[in-house]
Amino acid sequence: MRARSTLLLLLPGLAFLLVGFLLPAVAMLFAPPGVTFAQVIERMGAMLTDPYDLGIVWRTVRIGLVVTAVCVLLGFPIASLLARSRSRWAGVLLALAIFPLLLSNVVRTFGWLVVLGSNGVIGQLLTGLGLVEKAPQLLYTELAIVLGLVQLFLPLAVITCYSAVAQVDPGLEEAARGLGASRTRTFWSILVPLSLPGVVVAATLVFAGSVTAYTTPYLLGGSSQRMLSTQLFSYASVTVDWAAASATAVVMTVLVFLVSGISALVGRKGAVS
Amino acid sequence: MSGTRLRHPVAAALAVAGYVIMIVPIGFVVATAFTAGSTLRFPPEGLSLTWFGEAVAYSPFMEAVVSSLELAALATALALVLGVPVTLAVHRGRIPGRGLLEGLFLSPLVVPELVVGLALYQQLMIGLHLDNFTTLLLGHTALLLPYAVRVTGASLALADPALEEAARGLGASPVRAFFTVTLPMLRPGLVSAGLLGFVTSFNNVPLSLLLQTRDFRTLPVTMLDYVQQSYDPMVAAASTLVLAATVVVAVVAERTVGFAKIFGGINR
Repeated sequence: MRARSTLLLLLPGLAFLLVGFLLPAVAMLFAPPGVTFAQVIERMGAMLTDPYDLGIVWRTVRIGLVVTAVCVLLGFPIASLLARSRSRWAGVLLALAIFPLLLSNVVRTFGWLVVLGSNGVIGQLLTGLGLVEKAPQLLYTELAIVLGLVQLFLPLAVITCYSAVAQVDPGLEEAARGLGASRTRTFWSILVPLSLPGVVVAATLVFAGSVTAYTTPYLLGGSSQRMLSTQLFSYASVTVDWAAASATAVVMTVLVFLVSGISALVGRKGAVS
Repeated sequence: MSGTRLRHPVAAALAVAGYVIMIVPIGFVVATAFTAGSTLRFPPEGLSLTWFGEAVAYSPFMEAVVSSLELAALATALALVLGVPVTLAVHRGRIPGRGLLEGLFLSPLVVPELVVGLALYQQLMIGLHLDNFTTLLLGHTALLLPYAVRVTGASLALADPALEEAARGLGASPVRAFFTVTLPMLRPGLVSAGLLGFVTSFNNVPLSLLLQTRDFRTLPVTMLDYVQQSYDPMVAAASTLVLAATVVVAVVAERTVGFAKIFGGINR
């Protein structure tokens, strides 16, 4: 293919990418309406020293870490079970784990309102059994956000871990078993280390998704449990504070980039050793 | 299941807990949708289809369904029309910095969607006075470009370039060789990318959130607003209808390309 035709093929896509993504993103950072870049930086500095704003950053990171840990803890067993099963149900279970990825986040998160709400499943169950007099406040807590986000990102963890486990040669595990290693030992010293790069990818995707998700903290966290995303929306849409909105956007983006960068380094190191 | 290694009770318990968290809340949505009462209460007070009728008759929802379908269809088509040539250039062209170029087209996946939404709202809608449909279409297309480039790229990588060269050697023009040889080989990738793109656009909240106006609103954002204002089972009914439609899409996806393949392609 000649250079000129290659360029012609690239040009329309490139133009859309520039107008629909790259240029606005850069412009938002350097020149929000009526605000200078210096003011954005200044606002960012204020954010990282103000206890309220810092609390939101910390809550976002904390929730992200907890959700990531839970998703790996639940997702890896599911993935290894399905990848190594010879049962015909494995296909059905895999489809059941992937299906939620197609379903709207609003619908999935809405389910937790029914489960955790004051007249919800858990509250009714606890009061009905006479365990408590008044249903505990479950909605608008960090726990609610964590549950919602785990539901949202567990399918992603499962399919990413699934492809990692599927790539490990079952012969290695059979060899370990044949040499006398227990099931548990084979799992920890063969399967886990060999699928670790995939697990790191899964963890990164879940973390990046959790710290940037909007629907879940909005519906399940309310205004008392703000995360960076809900705070960003409030700056951009309610108070129309462009400097603060841009500063929040930068903090959120840097957080995602930082974690992706670290995980890429870890992944490369893992591949070498 | 004697062949499986993970019969360990701890592993099995974790797996069951995972499925409960993924699936059970969705079941409760469906259950509350059929209530005869007027609150989101469980167990539901009586059985009726009232709220389905209400949801279908509620014009903001129905208008939003049409808007979301329109946006998703256009953005998906546009992303494929723009993305396939990019895939061809990246895989078949002799250009320097191929990896960098592919990375550039995948970059919308890396930046948080809410941040992109803020940028488009601020720069295009407020700065350049673009109307919100155009802005949404630009944003959704840019968001779907990575899917189009990567998923069709995976198909193209499997296609043998010698076939195209043979067609060219037999006298076909580059355009004819593309439409008669390359494009048919890309079909599984096109179907996957199309399905994935359509669903992604239709369900999107973070990117669309700031780009709403009274004239053109998408369904997920309309539902989100409704939940925040009134706490009645109508959204449960609307959610159940969305769920039913999604099941249909899933069955079509499974029959045409296979579920696992569609999602396996995007996060390598």
